[in-house]
Amino acid sequence: MNKNMEWINRQIRLGRILIAAGLIVIIIGIVLPGIVSGLQFNPRIITGIGIVVLGIGISYQVRFGPVVRDAQAARRLVSEERDERMQLIRGRAGYRAFWTAEALIYAGLMWVSFAESGSLPPVSTDTLWYFLAVAVIVPFIVFAVGMKLDQDRL
Amino acid sequence: MKNRLEEMRSQKGWTQQELADRVEVSRQTIISLERGRYNPSITLAFRLAHQFGVSIENLFIYSEEEDYE
Repeated sequence: MNKNMEWINRQIRLGRILIAAGLIVIIIGIVLPGIVSGLQFNPRIITGIGIVVLGIGISYQVRFGPVVRDAQAARRLVSEERDERMQLIRGRAGYRAFWTAEALIYAGLMWVSFAESGSLPPVSTDTLWYFLAVAVIVPFIVFAVGMKLDQDRL
Repeated sequence: MKNRLEEMRSQKGWTQQELADRVEVSRQTIISLERGRYNPSITLAFRLAHQFGVSIENLFIYSEEEDYE
């Protein structure tokens, strides 16, 4: 088996592990409220994490599964995955997303600190939830837009 | 950086995909290189020059003025 096929098979194995882990986490999220009473958090969070892990595992199968018996297609896919221009684009997009996340989290930290000292109104749990949701989504959008822009530019 | 990639590839009669397969990059990278939008790493530059049997200086034309733009 050549190196490309070995790499593809490794990705497929990783995908299967992620699918299994995702399913286990989803089941835990579903059965946990029935086993443990008085949970201090919403068990849907666990189910949500499981769904994300399962989705990543399935995406691995969809991307790498079809080329497992085609050496030429496998070679091309590995070339695309390891392509230096693509790595540069991912790196640049990641750099932008990192600094966006850093700025948002810093702003949140300042906000909470000023609220603690009474300079700003106190932060409610709802507001904090929305802020954290923005801090998760916005860097992802910055990453995706950065990827698209650099793919067109470079 | 300017280069003679498209010219040399045409001389060899290779498609962009064939050249991409030979140097193990995506076709999009070859397109970007030919359009002068992307400058390759030293490793890729060597691999490309090796495919055409020329030196890097013959394939890529370095311009100091362009470098400072």
